[in-house]
Amino acid sequence: MRRNLSSYPLMWRLMDMLEAIFKKIWPKGGGFWSPYLMLSPAILLVGLLVLGLGYIGDASLRTLDTSTFLFSEEWSLTNYERALIEPFIRSVIWRSILGATIVTMITLLLAFPYTYVMVRTRSAFLRKFLLITLFLPFFIGQVVRAYGWLIILGKQGIVNDILGLVGIEPLRMLFNYPSVLFGLVQYMFPFAVLMLAPALTAIPEEIEAAAESLGASWVETMLHVIFPMAKSGMIGAGLVVLTLSLTDFAMPAILGGGTQDFVANAIYDQFFRTSDQGFGSSLAVLLIVIGSFLVWVVFVLVGAGTLAMGAKDK
Amino acid sequence: MTFDKQIKRRDLLKASAMLGIAGAAGSTAPSLLMAEPAKPKEIIIRAWGGPWVEALKAGVSDPFTAKTGIRVRHDLTEDNEIQPKVWAAVAQKRTPPIHINWDTTTNATKSALRGVCEDLSDLPNLKGTTDLAKPVGVDGYPIVNTYGYVYVLAYRPSAFPSGPPESYHDLLDPKFKGRLAFYNDGIGFHFPAQVAGGGKLDGIPSNMQPCWDFVSKIKAQEPLLGEDPDFVAWFQNGEIDAACTISTNALGAKRNGVDIAWTIPKEGAKFDTDGLWIPRGHSEGDLYWSKEYINQALSKESQQIWLDGLGLPGVIPGLQPPTGLAGDPSYPTKPADFDRLIRISGKIQVENESEWFSKFKAIMQG
Repeated sequence: MRRNLSSYPLMWRLMDMLEAIFKKIWPKGGGFWSPYLMLSPAILLVGLLVLGLGYIGDASLRTLDTSTFLFSEEWSLTNYERALIEPFIRSVIWRSILGATIVTMITLLLAFPYTYVMVRTRSAFLRKFLLITLFLPFFIGQVVRAYGWLIILGKQGIVNDILGLVGIEPLRMLFNYPSVLFGLVQYMFPFAVLMLAPALTAIPEEIEAAAESLGASWVETMLHVIFPMAKSGMIGAGLVVLTLSLTDFAMPAILGGGTQDFVANAIYDQFFRTSDQGFGSSLAVLLIVIGSFLVWVVFVLVGAGTLAMGAKDK
Repeated sequence: MTFDKQIKRRDLLKASAMLGIAGAAGSTAPSLLMAEPAKPKEIIIRAWGGPWVEALKAGVSDPFTAKTGIRVRHDLTEDNEIQPKVWAAVAQKRTPPIHINWDTTTNATKSALRGVCEDLSDLPNLKGTTDLAKPVGVDGYPIVNTYGYVYVLAYRPSAFPSGPPESYHDLLDPKFKGRLAFYNDGIGFHFPAQVAGGGKLDGIPSNMQPCWDFVSKIKAQEPLLGEDPDFVAWFQNGEIDAACTISTNALGAKRNGVDIAWTIPKEGAKFDTDGLWIPRGHSEGDLYWSKEYINQALSKESQQIWLDGLGLPGVIPGLQPPTGLAGDPSYPTKPADFDRLIRISGKIQVENESEWFSKFKAIMQG
């Protein structure tokens, strides 16, 4: 029974409006096909992605002749063999996987208490402060943020200036693996908080009170009640951070100082520095395969988290 | 009858006059059209930014516009990034996004080998150029080299109180740990490293092991790896004492007040060239005026202003070195100046650089 207009979700009203517009344009209606027609823009977008993937897949099977700089007409697995044999590429792949895993773990460790305080605090000031601190970096692009770290952590940077005041010689804090991971954690942190916040908000405060009334300490409540209930949000946040870190380009390029390439940097080099789009495409396909495999492993081991979009776990 | 005769005579006179005019026009108009097709409103030149484009504008683009009335637009897309766009446009028979590419000869050679460059051998000003203008390793003039440059060893004089470093081996001193810089793919350093490692230039590309052995020694010094702007910033911030870099960067830093000098160590220094080329696929008129632009770039007046800005030796005899660069090792003009400069065919470079870059990165990132 319809109570009033606002009792329907916004999405339903939007769909009703679209149907009404569709009926005006096509009075006979699309019948069975009308809902599918509404899906067509999304299908078109995904189709374009698939088309691009097909193009990359095709290019990855063609080898470059460096005497003519043309690609072979025939397909072969040469580029993939090279990618798996070349020690440099192997080390870049392992560095990316390891980096993405470390960044995911650290980011989740930091994001959980931040999100918890943000959704549970009774202080409006603190909540606003945490939200502003979270959203402010979103307005600053990744490259600008990376250059910001160069200014802060460089040998002539603010941190070394402060250390100099207490007589410590300037330290090199940049252009190494830890500095890349640091930059990635800082970049990924807001994504993780945004994914975690709905999961933590959905846990009623009364449950914590109930656990404590039954004798659980705050730590026990956290470990046995909150963490398990927030699992879906943790998985979703982890997957987002993992896949974004694995494919990142700017942080390794800028904070790594040319010594800490990730796969995306190697792809750029092949496309734009050595003009070998075939080899670059094979690296792109490998990156997709590795990323998909990692996501699949997480799905199999711990489920899809919030990315399951409400589907019930088996 | 008289009337008819008059008409006929008048018609005859008119017809004769028309034929005469048509004949005269016919004898001159086609040659004019052949010589100077319709002018485009603008031509687009891909260029590097900062002082590089300022020098090009002052030396070539502005004089070209003043002479022809054609506006010149400088597209600052990186040369590496414009390349696939140009290749795709030519392959798909579309109009390329730029009229002229100001490119490294090595990169341009890839385009030449791929067959996407217009032939430039008919440029009138080519007659007055030195051998440097001719690209090595390709037939004809798909590219015209416009100047040469040296990958010098730039250094901070205060870090070398007893004089400039004589050899790349001097950089292995522990006091330079973490205070050296190289390009992140090692470009400019591969060939001197081959010599420093005890190898011979004849060993390029078949036996580069001495090069990789020396790069491994340098890696133990934990150098910084970057690109042109990084070197300038690092010298300015006092983060490094020495770098293998293009002389123009060192000169730019010096002109900005940085305490910097440069030398060519006893192992030698890589000498390379940059050039201009036109991608295939432009209309006849655009091609004609693009060629005119390159012809302008090869004039003595343009070369003098353009290369004063870059501090580099051109391809026209008799150019005056910019202030302070006469006799400088980064400004070779006489045959003897080239004795310690290493120039390898562009074809050998493009065929092997992917492997060299990977090997250098594998050592440095190992």
